[in-house]
Amino acid sequence: MTEKISRRDFLKIAGTGAAITTILTGCGPASRYTTREPYIKMPEYNYNGQSTYYATTCRECAAGCGLVVRTMQGRALKAEGNKYNPVNLGKTCARGQSTLHGLYNPDRIQNPGKHSPGDKSFSNLDWNAAINQVADALKGNPDGIAFLMGLAPDHLFDLVADLCKSLGAPEPVRYSALGLFEARATLGEAARSVFGKPDLLFFDLANADVAFSFGANFLETWLSPVAYTRGFAKMRQGTNRRGYLVHFEARMSQTAMKADEWIPTAPGTEGMVAAALGKLIAENKAGTAPAAFSNIEYARVTALSGVSFETLKRLADIFGSAKSPLAIPPGAALGLDNGLETAQAVLMLNTVVDNLGKPGGVFLTPASPLGNDYQRGATAKEMTALVEKMNAGKIKTLFIHGVNPVFELPHSLGFENALKNVSTVISFSSFPDETAVAAHYVFPDHSGLESFGYQRVPTGSGQSMLSGAQPVVAPYYNTRATADVLLAAGVQAGGKAALSFKDEVEYIQSKLTALVDAKDGFFSAADMPTFWAQFQQYGGWWQNSASLGTPTAAGALDRALKASPAQFEGDGEFILLPYVSPILAEAGANKPWLQETPDPTTTVMWNSWLEINPKTAEELGLVNDEVVKVTSPFGELEVTVLTYPAIRPDVVAIPFGQGHTAYGRYAENRGVNPANLFGKTFNGAGDLTFAGVKVKISKTGKTNPLSRLEGYTRLAQSEPKQ
Amino acid sequence: MANHNIPEVKADWEATTGIWGMSIDMDMCTGCQACVAACAMENNIPFVEEKDAGYGRSLHWIRIEHTWQGEYPDVNATSFEPIMCQQCGNAPCEPVCPVFASVHSQSEELNLQVYNRCVGTRYCANNCPYVTRVFNMRDYDRPDPLSNQFNPDVTVRRRGIMEKCTFCIQRIHKGEDLAKSEGRDIRDGEVVPACAQACPADAIVFGRIDDPASKISVMAKNGRGFKLLDSLGTLPRITYLKEEKTYGRTG
Repeated sequence: MTEKISRRDFLKIAGTGAAITTILTGCGPASRYTTREPYIKMPEYNYNGQSTYYATTCRECAAGCGLVVRTMQGRALKAEGNKYNPVNLGKTCARGQSTLHGLYNPDRIQNPGKHSPGDKSFSNLDWNAAINQVADALKGNPDGIAFLMGLAPDHLFDLVADLCKSLGAPEPVRYSALGLFEARATLGEAARSVFGKPDLLFFDLANADVAFSFGANFLETWLSPVAYTRGFAKMRQGTNRRGYLVHFEARMSQTAMKADEWIPTAPGTEGMVAAALGKLIAENKAGTAPAAFSNIEYARVTALSGVSFETLKRLADIFGSAKSPLAIPPGAALGLDNGLETAQAVLMLNTVVDNLGKPGGVFLTPASPLGNDYQRGATAKEMTALVEKMNAGKIKTLFIHGVNPVFELPHSLGFENALKNVSTVISFSSFPDETAVAAHYVFPDHSGLESFGYQRVPTGSGQSMLSGAQPVVAPYYNTRATADVLLAAGVQAGGKAALSFKDEVEYIQSKLTALVDAKDGFFSAADMPTFWAQFQQYGGWWQNSASLGTPTAAGALDRALKASPAQFEGDGEFILLPYVSPILAEAGANKPWLQETPDPTTTVMWNSWLEINPKTAEELGLVNDEVVKVTSPFGELEVTVLTYPAIRPDVVAIPFGQGHTAYGRYAENRGVNPANLFGKTFNGAGDLTFAGVKVKISKTGKTNPLSRLEGYTRLAQSEPKQ
Repeated sequence: MANHNIPEVKADWEATTGIWGMSIDMDMCTGCQACVAACAMENNIPFVEEKDAGYGRSLHWIRIEHTWQGEYPDVNATSFEPIMCQQCGNAPCEPVCPVFASVHSQSEELNLQVYNRCVGTRYCANNCPYVTRVFNMRDYDRPDPLSNQFNPDVTVRRRGIMEKCTFCIQRIHKGEDLAKSEGRDIRDGEVVPACAQACPADAIVFGRIDDPASKISVMAKNGRGFKLLDSLGTLPRITYLKEEKTYGRTG
């Protein structure tokens, strides 16, 4: 080089050189060991070596537990309970702990995309195209639009409800598999018929000294498991007398294991047992029983339920003489054709011992601070109406958020096929779940930990409250808040679709306006910015003191209760008892640590199983790890046998939670979904009679060793012999 | 300076700063596995997937045990029992380690596992009567971006390393540092390991057993208390309170 290099050229070359060095470093082996992060790139509020904590709301179920997430340098490290939140008071369940495996799941949807339904890969779109697509749909005939939402988050449901109202479109529908398995509509309907108010009720377990549970798995997934676990611990070793828990269910669940007595009741007779106990107690007290129990004959109850009269009498004495007795209505037994009567019988048992509105008794939940009631999920019957509308071609665009109906709705309802009759299906899922795969477009929302929002608390807290959510980290992928997408698309569509909110936060703040200077709140502020700061700091808003209502059961005991055992569909020899996996629940299967967490009762990891009484298995010649075919009138599946010592011989059980065909590498092609065996009949409240199916079991000749924490069966059976 | 015994300089840390212990009330434990998940999230514990889990290679530092008694219909499940390293005062795992990876810390009175000394002989695991030590059979993959979640206070272990519950020693040290900087003793309940913090039933309580007024010392005097395999003379630091299954206790 003969030319002189000017200073400017030198800088250019030096700059290029530096860039090349950077790239090389980026590709070279050094990058595998260290990543340098300059101070200037630090996210706000972060200091080197120091953690920042953010309060938000757990989105693993809709109970509304508060979380405080530890972050460092913009990464979320650990979720803990929010000690201020009245639902969980600083505690979490296994699902709440594993919520970061959702945020940092390697299979999250990273960009908005489109594909032909059924295809697992997407071609990327940009967000402008996505918003155009949504705006086009909003411009169309409002009758052709339908929104299907999950039970969380509530702020988005409210926004969508407002949008639908403005457009004149049908109200959004909410659904959750937990709502199905807990038959929440049945409980609400029973509360309406006995107490005059549809309510999920608050059972004051903490102050009860005798609790009879008729099958609710309140220590696992039922309604608000962390709140009920806190109550249970207080009942056991609080300041009062040690509480005594009796559990009536055909299978010993995790909750039943904690009971002092487990009474293996025949499925579908739980209500008759509750009514018989009520009759015995009333007769002991007053000599005669109220009209409600006039249909109860003890001999018939004992014959059908398998509970001896001596046991009934002994338990009635315990319950009747307790200081604060409490009867908790069932889970699976409500999902039977007599489910409504069962729920009514249990609530009447509470009425007989007069614990309504007393410590250790039954309460009405406090009203939502936002004025509108808690919106329960749709029953299976209401979902069938949506499916029929879809099949009739009346729905042009279906928006789905926060729920995975293709997996969570039983096959028999035909949702997956009905999707094919909808011309545009738009999913807002963060994960490539079955519904996202079956959709035309996926416009991924932020994960729960990257989102603003609020959640009403249906039950679990004595205070009227709103659990608040805020992002704990910046969005990791090219996702966008669904609320913002809908607001932007609404403005673009114009007319009635345009709501007057700038963004999601402005919408949430508009809803909170009434709370800013509320007198009974544990904080209040002079203006919205101050209130908003506190709302985020404490993770929500709640009243200072409990405001539970007292139920009144005037005249409820005067009407005779129907007393008939449940009917079961199918001619199989076993009653199928499906239950929600205590660890995976409805949407935990894609979190690897939840997969590796042993099931509390069987210690199985990473798979599904069929529980069967060991004696029955021996009679059928079935051994552990053998694969059997389970056939109901509505479907069949192949699942591994696991003998379970604490289940009635005429009952088999399969947990719900596995059996995904999509939903990421940790969930796919693993285990079975028992919902494929369910029928299509409904009980008096419109809930599916999911527990009312009889199944046949036949051998397949295959084996599939289950991975269990107890015993190394796989090692013994499948290690190749030398 | 306040009357606290956290040493000023590192070299003085050979003196005991306090004996940490735990008590677990099995009457309250519901077997919900929140502690199991919390422990994994805090301590960078990898998942090993189905096959290895079936071979008993899962890396749970804490597990919940129960067994069955009797036959249907008179069948009974024993109490859920969370089991982790008992931090023995007289630990069988320590004398068998040829490289002093399994050692007793004088300052916290804990059984330490020094990862960078461990050569993977697994003698310690063979000698542990509580079966609480787990071995990294492979380098378990945590694909991006799952690795974002790593706790910077806890070493990420590799293949061939033995590991076990540490009583969340990183949290103990943080608590000690804070107390020291404020010139005071650690308050009872100030240091909480991940399992106890998550426990929705508050069945797990952590604290100093050398402080007679601490919550766990009071709990340990409860008539229901016992230690696991006490007859072996391992001096475990965890007291279990047994489930009652009785009707009508008052108090």
